[in-house]
Amino acid sequence: MEFLAETFRTAIALILSLDGEVVTAVATSISVALWSILFATLAGVPAGVAVGITEFPGKRLVITILNTLMALPTVVVGLAVYGIISRQGPLGELGILFTPKAMIIGQTVLAIPIVANFTLSTVKGADPRIIPTALTLGAGPFQSVLQLAKELRFGIMAAVIAGFGRVIAEVGVAMMLGGNIRGYTRTMTTAIAMETGKGEFALGLALGIILMAVALLVNLFLNILQQR
Amino acid sequence: MNALYRLIGIRKSHGQRTVLAIDDLALYPGKLYTLTGANGAGKTTLLNLLALLTPPCGGELRYEEEPVRWSNAALLPLRRQVTLLHQSPYLFDGIVFTNVAFGLKLRGIRGEEKQRRVKQALELVGLPGFGQRRARELSGGEAQRVAMARALALEPKVLLLDEPLANVDRATSEYLEGVIAALPGRGTTVIMTTHDPEHPGRLGGELIHLVAGELACRI
Repeated sequence: MEFLAETFRTAIALILSLDGEVVTAVATSISVALWSILFATLAGVPAGVAVGITEFPGKRLVITILNTLMALPTVVVGLAVYGIISRQGPLGELGILFTPKAMIIGQTVLAIPIVANFTLSTVKGADPRIIPTALTLGAGPFQSVLQLAKELRFGIMAAVIAGFGRVIAEVGVAMMLGGNIRGYTRTMTTAIAMETGKGEFALGLALGIILMAVALLVNLFLNILQQR
Repeated sequence: MNALYRLIGIRKSHGQRTVLAIDDLALYPGKLYTLTGANGAGKTTLLNLLALLTPPCGGELRYEEEPVRWSNAALLPLRRQVTLLHQSPYLFDGIVFTNVAFGLKLRGIRGEEKQRRVKQALELVGLPGFGQRRARELSGGEAQRVAMARALALEPKVLLLDEPLANVDRATSEYLEGVIAALPGRGTTVIMTTHDPEHPGRLGGELIHLVAGELACRI
């Protein structure tokens, strides 16, 4: 018990002293997650809206695939992207393996199905009068879809936040594609895994507390949005 | 006189069921038409067709004697002359002003002209000073009036009304009847559906009665 209390005290001291290792890992995590969620939003939101408002053959299959992709293991995404960007892969010449760019690609792939699916659910639950109302008031098809997105903004933001929650907490993609390089691609999650393995439990715990705080903030924000 | 709408051999089906079958119907500008008929008679289907929202399965619809081409590019300028007010209108999230100004903004009407038309439309429906109220906090009758103001602010050539007085209290109904009856005098053609047998007599204009999607009589 004394060990845990002592470790906890050390962890808090590390956070309060703004330890360089901790700050760098937190900054890398947040920066990579923000870029990933930006790209995932650009792809996932239009995809979710498009699937939600249009009828086409195979729509049920597309929804099933999107649902399945939500449960995609992070190491599988890591493996697939690794195969593409590693030296022997089709994009090997870009030389981006073990860089933040590689992590962003992997986490974007991970987040797109989440953002798309949550957006799709929001669109399916939307008032069916929104688009016809916009059309009868003189909106074009694109303008009416924009109005739909505007009406559903809180649901769409919730989709984006859910995607952010997924990528900030994942370890597989960050480890496999980033390589856990100190001060460059080391994130909170990869640092926790490594420091704990080394026996540096206090540093791992300090990062764990920050990660939990970020997750808590994200979920609090999500709850506020869902209540609107 | 050129017809505003001309329907020639129009057919509309849902699956195997024919919901609209009109061989010949001409509607003229500046008039008020009331569409009557039982549930499922095809009134709303006809309004959606006239609002250029859904194409017919067969036949030809002409607007100002020109055949309607059902492509997005061709429809947009026509749709901006025609406004449909649904039976249970949807108000966008936000304040009343942004709702009433929605269509004006799409048409590039801004600044003082936009302010003037919103104010005028709200006064016309008896809701002066409602601009800053939140749309979602309005009563059913007030929401119906705001939706009417949103349509009137556009000064449309044609106003299509789907049971506009069905879900409102008596006072609102009487008020809106007066507003609707005055529209043809301002150059707006009104085509409205109703279940109330007294409306055609009170509002004047021409009555079109549909039975099972077909034109039964025209008075």
